[in-house]
Amino acid sequence: MSEILPWITLVVCAAAALARIPSTMRGVNPALFFIFLLATAAAVLSIEQFYVAIDGALGGLNIAHVLLRLIVFATIYLIAVRVTKGFGAPDAHRMIAGPPGLAVLAIFSVALVAVFLMMAPAASSVRFQDAGAASPRNEALLPFYWAAARGYLAYVSLALLPALLRSVKERLPLLVRTGAALMAAGAAATVAGLCLEFSPAQLLPIAPAVNNGAVVFYTSGLVMVWLARVKAAQRRSHGTSSTER
Amino acid sequence: MPLPAKAFQRWLSGVAPDTSTADICRVSGVKRTTLAQQMVRGKVAETTVVSISRAYNINPVAALATFDTYSGLASSSLPPTEKELVSQIATVDLLRAVIVRTAPEGSTGPGQPGLSPTPHATSVKNWVDAIDDGELRHRVSAATGVAPQNYSAQLTANRLAPELAVATSRAAGVGLASGLVATGLVTETEAGWPPGARQAALDRLSDGDLTALAGERLQAMGRTLRRQEQDQEQTERIWENLV
Repeated sequence: MSEILPWITLVVCAAAALARIPSTMRGVNPALFFIFLLATAAAVLSIEQFYVAIDGALGGLNIAHVLLRLIVFATIYLIAVRVTKGFGAPDAHRMIAGPPGLAVLAIFSVALVAVFLMMAPAASSVRFQDAGAASPRNEALLPFYWAAARGYLAYVSLALLPALLRSVKERLPLLVRTGAALMAAGAAATVAGLCLEFSPAQLLPIAPAVNNGAVVFYTSGLVMVWLARVKAAQRRSHGTSSTER
Repeated sequence: MPLPAKAFQRWLSGVAPDTSTADICRVSGVKRTTLAQQMVRGKVAETTVVSISRAYNINPVAALATFDTYSGLASSSLPPTEKELVSQIATVDLLRAVIVRTAPEGSTGPGQPGLSPTPHATSVKNWVDAIDDGELRHRVSAATGVAPQNYSAQLTANRLAPELAVATSRAAGVGLASGLVATGLVTETEAGWPPGARQAALDRLSDGDLTALAGERLQAMGRTLRRQEQDQEQTERIWENLV
């Protein structure tokens, strides 16, 4: 099961990126294409075969994993900026893109790189899973590495959650509300992912499902909002031509 | 709750004996698949009975009255109240009446168009407001077990299940078919409203009452439109950023 999850994530993200190409060519929200492209890159780096190949090219020291985590930071940051602007949440926007938000991003990024540098180099392993076995120091440092990696995602998700939940209850098109609900589920899964890092070992098997689920929820939420627009545009073209742009 | 399929079949065999379902559907304009689905589920929609009744020149209200749920419709012969009649006049028609009354003689042009047929865009809510003594919603809710917020939601959407419409009439002590007119299930003629009753009620309104009523309707309309515009604006902003 955990073998196939990253592939599902990859397919969803890549499909979303491909589907955004026509809009991007027309100059409509290129940031969105970029978001899906980053998400696709992150999904690629989560798959063993690709990870080993790419990390090998980078020296085989798991630098690709730090890169993956930073790509994920950038992706969630960009998504959060669009979501807070779109759903009208100035407070959440400040917490993410304002000075405090950028400070948090910097702190988590620096912490991530610092913890990685403090660890002894370990052989390339996807999801960084064998790094703890390399030395006792690594094993002690690994939870901190993951706390930094997931901490920022959880911070952003927590900032987004109130705005998303509020939008679910508002009088918006059904597909937009579904999209907000899916993104809220993504935010909740992200926070759960962080909590799972500190949970007892018997819960660890569900961690990949939760973390990949977070990506799929966020992505499909964005797709829903987009479908709502497509549907509205169709209805408009069926109706009177006076409202057409 | 819609009508039980068994009772419907009994009624249908009385209305159109020895007629195939296909023929009934063709004559009444009811979709075959729709009817088949309703029969399978065991619940036939009131609109189906109304459509078939019309096709066979039977009064739809009388047809509904043959079903247990609506048996009260048969014995109810209360005429519509003034307020009910006025509530079923479209806002545009009210405004037109204001203009006709206030415009100087001869400036409005010849030939005053008649009222548009029932129902209008806010007919359900206006009807309930017209017969509401302040406790009506509670009584309907208590009598039918429908939660007040669900009832209000239907009114806001200008809908009301036929059974609820009748229950509302009963709770308000007005003619039982009025609600069916307001929801558009039957026409005012089918409900036994005298011809021209709405126009007559409108003519009986004093200038002051008419203007105040038109003002209330306009205000409500403005609130609805503004809310829609705000929702639209918000949706546009979401799309601007996320699509």
